[in-house]
Amino acid sequence: MFNFRKPQYRVSAENLDDLRLSDLKPGEKGRIVEIGGSDQFRHRLIEMGLTKDIEISVDKYAPLLDPMELIVRGYHISLRGIDAQKIVVTKST
Amino acid sequence: MGLNIAIAGNPNCGKTTIFNALTGARQQVGNWPGVTVERKSGRFKHLEHKFDVIDLPGTYSLTAFSAEERIVQQFLLNEKPDVVINIIDASNLERNLFLTTQLIELGSPMVIVLNMMDMADEKGLEIDIETLATLLGAPVVPIVGRSGEGIDVLKEKIVRVATELSTKSRPINIPYQRDIENEIEKISNLVKQSNKNLHEIRWIAVKLLESDEQTRDEIRALNSGEAILKQVGQSIDRIERLFKDTGRAVISHARYGFIQGAVRECVIEKLQDSVDYSRRIDRVITNRWLGLPIFGLFMWLMFKITYDLGSFPMDWIDAGVASLMNLISGLLPESMFASLVIDGAIGGVGAIAVFLPNIFILFFIIAILEDSGYMARVAFIMDRVMHNIGLHGKAFIPMVMGFGCNVPAIMGTRILESRRDRILTVLINPFMSCSARLPVYILVAGAFFPENAATVIFSMYIFGILAAIASGKLFSKTILKGMSKPFVLELPPYQRPTMRSLILHTWERGYLFIQKMGTVILVGSILIWVLGYFPRNVELDRDYSGERKIVSQSYSQDLFKLTLNFETSIKKDRDSYHSEMVEYPASTGYKQLKAQYDSLKSHISEAEASTLFALRQQEMGDITERKWIGRVGKVFEPIVAPLGFTWRESVALITGFVAKEIVVSTYGVLFGVGDDVDEKSHGVISGLRASGMTPLVALGFLVFTLLYTPCLATVAAIKRETGTWAYTFFSIAYSLVLAYGMAFGINYFGTMFQWLS
Repeated sequence: MFNFRKPQYRVSAENLDDLRLSDLKPGEKGRIVEIGGSDQFRHRLIEMGLTKDIEISVDKYAPLLDPMELIVRGYHISLRGIDAQKIVVTKST
Repeated sequence: MGLNIAIAGNPNCGKTTIFNALTGARQQVGNWPGVTVERKSGRFKHLEHKFDVIDLPGTYSLTAFSAEERIVQQFLLNEKPDVVINIIDASNLERNLFLTTQLIELGSPMVIVLNMMDMADEKGLEIDIETLATLLGAPVVPIVGRSGEGIDVLKEKIVRVATELSTKSRPINIPYQRDIENEIEKISNLVKQSNKNLHEIRWIAVKLLESDEQTRDEIRALNSGEAILKQVGQSIDRIERLFKDTGRAVISHARYGFIQGAVRECVIEKLQDSVDYSRRIDRVITNRWLGLPIFGLFMWLMFKITYDLGSFPMDWIDAGVASLMNLISGLLPESMFASLVIDGAIGGVGAIAVFLPNIFILFFIIAILEDSGYMARVAFIMDRVMHNIGLHGKAFIPMVMGFGCNVPAIMGTRILESRRDRILTVLINPFMSCSARLPVYILVAGAFFPENAATVIFSMYIFGILAAIASGKLFSKTILKGMSKPFVLELPPYQRPTMRSLILHTWERGYLFIQKMGTVILVGSILIWVLGYFPRNVELDRDYSGERKIVSQSYSQDLFKLTLNFETSIKKDRDSYHSEMVEYPASTGYKQLKAQYDSLKSHISEAEASTLFALRQQEMGDITERKWIGRVGKVFEPIVAPLGFTWRESVALITGFVAKEIVVSTYGVLFGVGDDVDEKSHGVISGLRASGMTPLVALGFLVFTLLYTPCLATVAAIKRETGTWAYTFFSIAYSLVLAYGMAFGINYFGTMFQWLS
């Protein structure tokens, strides 16, 4: 019923080269460039503090490899890979 | 009339802890009108002032997306509380302050509570309270909600803000970029002109720029509403052109800009290495390899404790109910009324009351899981599994609870935020085999599959899970399609729960069970009693008492003959006995004869008892068949005949609608062993085997029992949690159709391919 590999998503956004939040590995950090997806989804994330230029780090992936745990503005939040894939980031150190 | 206070804040900010600390046990729990969101209110006194407090649902923002947010926004706008207490998690300032910026714009007199100061300390955060208060334009009170530190200061501040209405606040504005401010001013002017009575003009203007539906509707209703909305349209266009984003996103970014500035000014991060304890705990608890086993262990413990610990008070309640029945039957003369009270009301409700300890223990454990923060981790761990049936990870908890009892499980769906998820989880929950179905499985599987009983029972559980998954997939692709929300889950820091809040949570939910289910079960039990009690005198085809007399006579004749024989033999034996040393009654010859006689005698009385018992079973069956309950069974017999069921099964299943374990006691009545039976009663097992049921039909019966309409209490819970009869009737109809279809399939194909024969 489940495949125990990290799920692969169809990249929907225009620019295939953009680095996505879902591409980051545990321990890696990025800065948010842009959030895609529906307005409802974007607004929710922005209101929870995932604003442009904010640093976001990937803490870990769940035991079944989805969703992922992120740290932003000092708190922990979890997103599914399919949603994290809508967030364009630049890698930071 | 007291002063009205509303508590607002993010989820997980400790709102409820402070609400409890303020009001103590003087609380009322209900629902917000029209939605299944808990509405908690309470009251308290400070000096000569009385306060009515309302605990608003936790929200991250004031928009009209979720039911919770709509409630908060409408309550603050329409009810205009005298003071709003905004609770903020001091260890997570930035995100918590987002809601605060909205509350400031809304313009209610406000007291800001910095909760969890201890955790902020642990994180190495030093907060300049005075500066923060100046920046936000409202008094700020630091508090440690769990220990109650700072509550008295809070009460004082509330009184001050509430009574000094003239100096209501030093109003501050959240500053936006000049381009936005320009648009806000244009809209504000128009709104001001059209209705001078409106307060919170700035709030309305901002909300309009955010395209808030609710505010748009209100403005549209004004005289010059169309003109205002036209301006709003132009302003939004302008903003979107300038910032290349929606008005709402731009304004949210500006709010965070303000917040970041404020935090920079009044928070010092001490350089010492701060320890994120929660993160350390999560290194183990949500670990890639350990996360699932630990979760499994917790679930197992939850069951173990619920059932093992619950079995002690269960026995006491059982004994209590029995002695209550005895007491009342001693007080009341034997009459219809006495039977109604004892057998109908007390017996029926008592049968369910037995489960109260389990339910309370389960609720207590769930309160621990919730208050500690583990529940969010469960959602994190199980999300991928639940996502498969279109559900949120948190939905796993009510599913597991369903193995215990569907009623608290369905009530437990409240932990889910979206209504669509709640309804979907409620609808598939009854397929999780609750503990009430176990006695039926044990009885029927024990009677027809004695060799493989455990396997059969286990496969019932598995089959239930499969039915739930399949139905979940079906529903999420048909009737509940596309309403799912993206998964955005906060993983709050772990906290040690306080006993007070655990007990309060447990009691709130447990009380609902007692209250609501008690009434439904009482009515149901009386109904079944009526069906089984009337008509009073039934005409039987056979003269049972006559037959009994004949049986007794024939056995006493046998006994008489035996005794006669024995005496003759003894006489003969004594005549041939010559020893002077030993008295005859002590001789070996006599002893042998006596032993032979005794064993034959007990054979006869056993045979008599078992013949009489069989006769009694037949009589009880005959009587029940002629009572209303039997007639109802007869009416439904043609419908269930294709499944291989007789009128007995149809009666058992109908009564099982009140509570599934009643199926067992119904069989007890039908086979005349009285209703005081359990699943190990041999009378019922032999009765079942003798009734002509085949193993194939028995399997169909088991599957039917698993799938068909959950008990009355569950139906009441479904109605309560979905809020509509439509979903309630849908659930009943769906499960009946599924049960019928499956049992029919088993019987049809089983007969065709000669399974189990």
